[in-house]
Amino acid sequence: MLRKADSNFAFAVGAALLFFFIGGILTTVVPPLVDKSWSKPFENSDPSQGATGKLVAYTERQLKGRAIYVREGCWYCHTQQTRTLLADTVRSGWKGVRSPISTPDEFVYDYPHMFGTKRTGPDLSRVGGKYDTQWHRTHFRNPRDLVPGSIMPPFPWIVENPEEFTALVDYIQTLGRAKNWRPNGDYEK
Amino acid sequence: MDYMYPSVFLAYFMFFVLTLLTLVWLIMSRKQGFWGKNSEEPKYRMMRDDDEGNYNG
Amino acid sequence: MPEDTSRVQASPSISAGGAAVVHEDTTAKWFLISSIAYFFIVGIIAVTIAAKFVWPQLLGTVQYLTYGRLRPLHVNGMLFGWLLAADMGLAFYLIPRLCGVKLWSEKLGVATAALWNVIVLGAVVMLLMGYNQGLEYAELPTWEDVLVVIAWIMFGLNIFMTIASRKYDQMYVSIWYIMGTILWTAFVYLTGNFAVLFATGVNQANLNWMYVHNAVGLIFTPIGLALAYYYIPKASNSPLHSHKLSMIGFWSLAFVYVWTGAHHMLHGPISQWLQTISIAFSVMLLIPVWAVVYNFFATMQGQWHQLRENVPLKFLMSGVVFYLLTCFQGPMHSLRTVNAIVSKTDWIPGHAHMAVLGAFSFFAIAGTYYTVPRMFKCKLFSDTLANWSFWFLMVGGLGFFVTLWLGGFWQGWQWNNVSIPFIDTVKALQPVWLVRFFSGILMFTGIVSFAYNILATIVGAKDNPEAA
Repeated sequence: MLRKADSNFAFAVGAALLFFFIGGILTTVVPPLVDKSWSKPFENSDPSQGATGKLVAYTERQLKGRAIYVREGCWYCHTQQTRTLLADTVRSGWKGVRSPISTPDEFVYDYPHMFGTKRTGPDLSRVGGKYDTQWHRTHFRNPRDLVPGSIMPPFPWIVENPEEFTALVDYIQTLGRAKNWRPNGDYEK
Repeated sequence: MDYMYPSVFLAYFMFFVLTLLTLVWLIMSRKQGFWGKNSEEPKYRMMRDDDEGNYNG
Repeated sequence: MPEDTSRVQASPSISAGGAAVVHEDTTAKWFLISSIAYFFIVGIIAVTIAAKFVWPQLLGTVQYLTYGRLRPLHVNGMLFGWLLAADMGLAFYLIPRLCGVKLWSEKLGVATAALWNVIVLGAVVMLLMGYNQGLEYAELPTWEDVLVVIAWIMFGLNIFMTIASRKYDQMYVSIWYIMGTILWTAFVYLTGNFAVLFATGVNQANLNWMYVHNAVGLIFTPIGLALAYYYIPKASNSPLHSHKLSMIGFWSLAFVYVWTGAHHMLHGPISQWLQTISIAFSVMLLIPVWAVVYNFFATMQGQWHQLRENVPLKFLMSGVVFYLLTCFQGPMHSLRTVNAIVSKTDWIPGHAHMAVLGAFSFFAIAGTYYTVPRMFKCKLFSDTLANWSFWFLMVGGLGFFVTLWLGGFWQGWQWNNVSIPFIDTVKALQPVWLVRFFSGILMFTGIVSFAYNILATIVGAKDNPEAA
């Protein structure tokens, strides 16, 4: 059999594909079938089961803002996942309150997904409601005016385009809001 | 207790099966004479260039 | 380069001489020339984005040159414009030689090269305009993806038809790897660029990471190893240590790699059992890697002295060392505890650059240095310059990798200490990014000297024919 694999073209092609598909199917097709939470929007009204809240679909304007987030490549430097690490829940938290970890059911309306791989800037999975519109306006014009030492690029062409700017901020304010995790709902607008 | 989930044991079981298959595969190939001189042929042949005017410096 | 013919002649099967085949190599030439041009152009972008870490205002008010648009251009340009194109060009060179026949169709090959250039140039325009699909490694819009698939089918058809008409029954390991690349890439690419479009959220992320990981693992790794398996024995003039061992490396790679995609989301919002599987298979990657690396080192046994003079061999063997290192890092930072420190830090670009630049680009550069004089039947323009290009890339590369690893580890520790505000962890990395920028300049100098050397060789080929 091995001798055959060594010189038989069709056999080699078949075996290479078979090997590939075993792993390929078990890790891509099977998981969503086994784990329903991957495709079911988050909804919880029972405080004993963690943060309450409900994931709603994005509005048209939020989708527009999201498209700008994608276009400018914000996701190359900002992740959107509070991982199962203590430090992540503290850093995603706000004013002394730790944020809940991210769960798959919070992201079912995300297209494309924005989990990210690199955290050059802070994680944004719970940033919604932390800063108001005026803060974002100043920050996008020149991040270093508000955060000395920041290396985020300035985005004047977004600030100077009111339609784009409102859409983007509208989107940013939704991040992490499905889980209503602030103690008194003290979100900025 | 991540490592106590049944699915994790399934994974361990799969690794065990894979190891077993690998061993069977190796022993079988040994018996069939795959580990002879014959299968080392290509590595000598590739050293020879069959086109003209090849540059060997 | 010192010649050691005795070793080759001692082998049993080198006696019979076949009928001479004249290879045209037009396709290989076009692929190589265009890929080297992109290596240079995208190198400029690479240095620019490294500078943006140190001077964030640089070109900051020009929306077409902002970091978020240059980065995908850098990644896609280097991966598809330079590395994959160079790999394809070298595959077009070595497959006909290993099969002992002419390439199936030079015309189809040249058309593939032309289409590839259309794709890369289109990508430059689309990415700078901000048409970004938002999925890593799959940023290009769908019409580009369709063209890539067409080009890949053309490439695959050409190579497969050549292999099918081969003169020798048994296939050398490079043929295996290139065949594997063509088959797996087809499915990996379709998953990463088309299947993802029908999923959202974590479903999509899982497909995306499967693609991202296997773009490196089942595209660049097998084709890069195909080059190494061909050029290491050729450049050192010593037969491969063991063909059988190389087969074990091939089949274990085929089986193990595809499972590991989810290790990009360790600790993230993805099922724990999938994370565990990806970790286990990531560790198993040590099997194919060590099988391959042992084979290369054993091939070099008694031949290490050749490294003093032989520039392609320098690139090849340091590429092998980088490959070993990068594939040791990979399994190690897929372990949950290590991952909690290094994941999402600057360690990761250090790791990724060592794989793609340190290992696979070094193989492609070595292949180019070895191949171009043979294709154009002349001497290399300057061996001294080639040596310099090696040292520029080596020192620049090491500076880049090592500072980012140290910086990334440090950054990870700082992140895990929640008493440090995030912005302080950014400020702390400024010196690291400065060193990275200067290392980038060194690497770019290496690219320029490499590109110039090859260009001068090709231009001067007619005036400086090698006496046969």
